[in-house]
Amino acid sequence: MHKSTSASSLGPGGLDLTQAFFKPIHGAALPSSSNGQTKISVIGAGNVGMAIAQTILTQDLADELVLVDAIPDKLRGEMLDLQHAAAFLPRTKINASVDYAVTAGSDLCIVTAGARQIHGESRLNLLQRNVALFRKIIPPLAKYSPETILLIVSNPVDVLTYVAWKLSGFPSNRVVGSGTNLDSSRFRFLIADHLDVNAQDVQAYIVGEHGDSSVALWSSISVGGVPVLSFLKKQQIAYEKETLESIHKAVVDSAYEVISLKGYTSWAIGYSAAGLARSILRDQRSIHPVSVLAKGFYGVDGGDVFLSLPAQLGRSGVLGVTNVHLTDEEEQKLRDSAKTILEVQSQLGL
Amino acid sequence: MNKSSSASSLGPGGLDLTQAFFRPISRAAPPSPTKRHNKISVIGVGNVGMAIAQTILTQDLADELVLVDAKPEKLRGEMLDLQHAAAFLPRTKIHASVDYAITVGSDLCIVTAGARQNPGESRLNLLQRNVALFRNIIPPLAKYSPDTILLIVSNPVDVLTYVAWKLSGFPSNRVFGSGTNLDSSRFRFLMADHLDVNAQDVQAYIIGEHGDSSVALWSSISVGGVPVLSFLEKQQIAYEKETLEKIHKAVVDCAYEVISLKGYTSWAIGYSVANLARSILRDQRKVQPVSVLANGFYGVGGGDVFLSLPAQLGRSGVLGVTNVHLTDEEAQKLRDSAHTILEVQSQLNLGI
Repeated sequence: MHKSTSASSLGPGGLDLTQAFFKPIHGAALPSSSNGQTKISVIGAGNVGMAIAQTILTQDLADELVLVDAIPDKLRGEMLDLQHAAAFLPRTKINASVDYAVTAGSDLCIVTAGARQIHGESRLNLLQRNVALFRKIIPPLAKYSPETILLIVSNPVDVLTYVAWKLSGFPSNRVVGSGTNLDSSRFRFLIADHLDVNAQDVQAYIVGEHGDSSVALWSSISVGGVPVLSFLKKQQIAYEKETLESIHKAVVDSAYEVISLKGYTSWAIGYSAAGLARSILRDQRSIHPVSVLAKGFYGVDGGDVFLSLPAQLGRSGVLGVTNVHLTDEEEQKLRDSAKTILEVQSQLGL
Repeated sequence: MNKSSSASSLGPGGLDLTQAFFRPISRAAPPSPTKRHNKISVIGVGNVGMAIAQTILTQDLADELVLVDAKPEKLRGEMLDLQHAAAFLPRTKIHASVDYAITVGSDLCIVTAGARQNPGESRLNLLQRNVALFRNIIPPLAKYSPDTILLIVSNPVDVLTYVAWKLSGFPSNRVFGSGTNLDSSRFRFLMADHLDVNAQDVQAYIIGEHGDSSVALWSSISVGGVPVLSFLEKQQIAYEKETLEKIHKAVVDCAYEVISLKGYTSWAIGYSVANLARSILRDQRKVQPVSVLANGFYGVGGGDVFLSLPAQLGRSGVLGVTNVHLTDEEAQKLRDSAHTILEVQSQLNLGI
């Protein structure tokens, strides 16, 4: 029983209510240690990590939630701020430590640690700082939870998911990056807002790099089951390729826009990661565009590279990649995306 | 239809999918203004306001969520960051503006605007800054939503709830403060953590001022229906009054501790206020310790004062105060709490 509070007045030496408050029933076995409880560890208690942790808590996805960070005061403050809501939530054990031992036995580890993307900085520029950090994060996570699933959020997410995969030694189904899950949500939001329809009725994937070279799969966008491009053709509504590209660019720019306005993004990525956590831990077997080992798909084969593809997620992690149809142009863009990332990876010396 | 995105490439001049995408059925009436349509406005998009807004969104409490603040860029950034999650949430219309006209027709207005409590600063020191701010906030809210319920969170919450009540001209059931709802949760958390029991099975109120002179109702604490103090007596477990006071002090210090560690509090107050919003909008008729007009209860008099009491909340706001038994000492502490607040209020030139 982890006494995480500062109220030493409750307990031995102070007011000890535990004496005889509850009496065990006759013949009961002792509580067993591991009893199917879902444990999620979130590494990094910054804006992104805390938005993810808090959304997981509100959505009641875990029995135990652990926070890890390098800054102990901030970490403890965040832990207390979540614990203080105990009266308003189903009971979730919340722990925090700078020591990775606290993550032991996690079903899912979500890594958000890393420098914040500065206004104007491309995701790739963050890379070197974050690779060094991952050398301190991934090996202990893997050691304390050898069966866990790693969900990488830190940017640049595709390269860092590859780094996490290498450093953990895990099979590729157990290492996944949040990838273009959020980009796709932003894309779906823009289309849904335009059509005044529920965003969940908009099927639309952005795949490839989570970043400037992502690929919008226009050929497979549908709304309420109606494929959009062929709808336009049948209605004889003309459109320009450049228009499609500027819509895609608006999606890529969405993140930069939020960063320039409020300094960082947090809420949307919080919901995105919590949704992925739910798919995995509740074996939802839903399809999400997330960063997976893309080697062998759509002609991507220059090396080991992680890219977002529409992947089915369940309790054992990545179950597979859906065989969505890509046009020749979309496939080429995906391979170009892979090439960009492989070039960067080759400079890493892993 | 509020086009809040920046993608002007979708729409006239760009790619306009709306042409013929949906076809109306014959003899359909045009859309009427929706009847059951919960609209919540959150004033202030700082850490507290956004934690409240985001929790309300995650818990699916509103059909429309509006954010208002004085800083347009921060405001737009926060609005976009929530809108971008559209694929992961039930559909909620999210709007934001520096102009209060956007709050029109709100069922509930949650006011969090105000300066952040600095480490070591007592809640009362924030007061003067926040009263001036409220003169710009409360009258427009009342004007645009004359039937709304005002839920005040800004500190010092008891005085500011009084200020909001005076500035709005609303009846007292439609103005209340988040008060000691969170203090009570912290109290319940400490007890529950000690006993390793679910916090929702701990019934425990802290009432009075949301601050240093709050009152812990030890006489009515129970766990799973077992009154704690009489349990201790029956078990012949001795305890010191000073110990009880230390536990209470630990609760009051909780907020200061979090502020000194992470700079501010946000998550817990977010859950606390979302919980109050739910009680109101879904007519839950739950009893929660919130800051209400306390005149006439437990001998509180001497002026109009808002203090936390266990109050029943429902769709029309504060339905009443529960007749919980206070010991003479607890009632006296409550009156002292009222006295402290009235002294401060008397120094305010409210000009109303």
